[in-house]
Amino acid sequence: MARVRTTRNPLVVAAVVLTVAAAGAAGWGGWSRYDAAHDDAAAYAEARDDALAAGEQAVQNMNTLDHAHLEKGLDSWEASTTGDLHRQLVDGREAFVKQIETAKTVSTAKVLSGAVTELDDRAGKAGVMVALRVTVSAPEGEPAVKENRMLGQLTRTSEGWKLSALGQAPVGNTAG
Amino acid sequence: MSTTRHLVNRRRRLATVAATAPSERTPATGAPAPAEDRAAVTEAPAEPGTEPGTAEAGEAGEPPAPTRLPTRLPRLRFRLPAALCAATVLLGAFAAWAFTSAASLREDPTRQNTALTDISRTSEVKGQITEAVGAVFSYTYASPGKSDQAARKYLTGKAVQQHQDMLAEVRAQAPKQKLVLTTTVTESGVELLDGDRARLLVFADQSNTRTGKEEETTYAAAMFAVDAVRSEGTWRIAAIDTFTR
Repeated sequence: MARVRTTRNPLVVAAVVLTVAAAGAAGWGGWSRYDAAHDDAAAYAEARDDALAAGEQAVQNMNTLDHAHLEKGLDSWEASTTGDLHRQLVDGREAFVKQIETAKTVSTAKVLSGAVTELDDRAGKAGVMVALRVTVSAPEGEPAVKENRMLGQLTRTSEGWKLSALGQAPVGNTAG
Repeated sequence: MSTTRHLVNRRRRLATVAATAPSERTPATGAPAPAEDRAAVTEAPAEPGTEPGTAEAGEAGEPPAPTRLPTRLPRLRFRLPAALCAATVLLGAFAAWAFTSAASLREDPTRQNTALTDISRTSEVKGQITEAVGAVFSYTYASPGKSDQAARKYLTGKAVQQHQDMLAEVRAQAPKQKLVLTTTVTESGVELLDGDRARLLVFADQSNTRTGKEEETTYAAAMFAVDAVRSEGTWRIAAIDTFTR
């Protein structure tokens, strides 16, 4: 009955048609939005980019150290790492402080490029490779610039991705 | 216009009666009765307590006009379209937001980049570029044509000239020193993969062997990024970035 009485007023008819059309569009849009937001590949891509960003930053942190701000630098090293690597840094900190205070070096690093080589989103493990340029300045002499091929393993922690292993890609043993 | 409104009013009344007192009468859907209708609308507020039954009796067969209806009717008449308009605006706004939001989510660079998310494409480009790098950066003094052949097969665009420049020195010294340059990719990672374009970071080892009087091999570590493009199912190197300052 309710439908019967509204259909006679063209204004109401038009309004009903518009409302139904709007409801349809809203339903479609909502579905589209939901679909876009719950895309598995997208979540994986996000994890990949998070891991890469964290990995590049951590690798850069680990290659940056100013003897004048040693504590701050080493805190950043420890904050960038987890697991065995973190433990090694904590254990070796005192000896390292002495070493750098004697050498009085300033190292700065620049990430040239980086890529995620493997990613296990569920296990929270990732592998990254980073092309790095490190400049080491000693109190005397020209600063030394070297390019390093870094390979890192990342582990996801409650505070995000952190380095659990870091080293340079070995040279020479695969060629020939 | 007035006829339509009367008819609408009449039907509303009938509807309410059917709802409130279904047993009393069966709703009639007869012809419009403009005079009666107007009377019902004007007279109704004067007798607020009247039951549907009494109204029917007093108007001689005229469909009953429940007293609370006429006061509600004008408001309803404006309320319904207003409510519909409000609903349309709200739903429309939601739809607009949802589509915009979905589009921006889909256009997010993170999603456009299918490195690792597209497993088969990722391994395809890694495999083919690994092969390409090994082929174009290897050189044997004994068969210099092999390197040119590889260059034609695996290089395109800017990379052709870059490769020429990079190997110029090797080419010049190769016959004299009997050079054998071998490049092996040790590690590669896909930074970006978007359809037929990709960028890879490559770590490679280069062994340079002089097979003159005394054989001597030196190893060098190389790292560079390559831009790759895919055409006809084959990935080729389009540019080489050696991170020079």
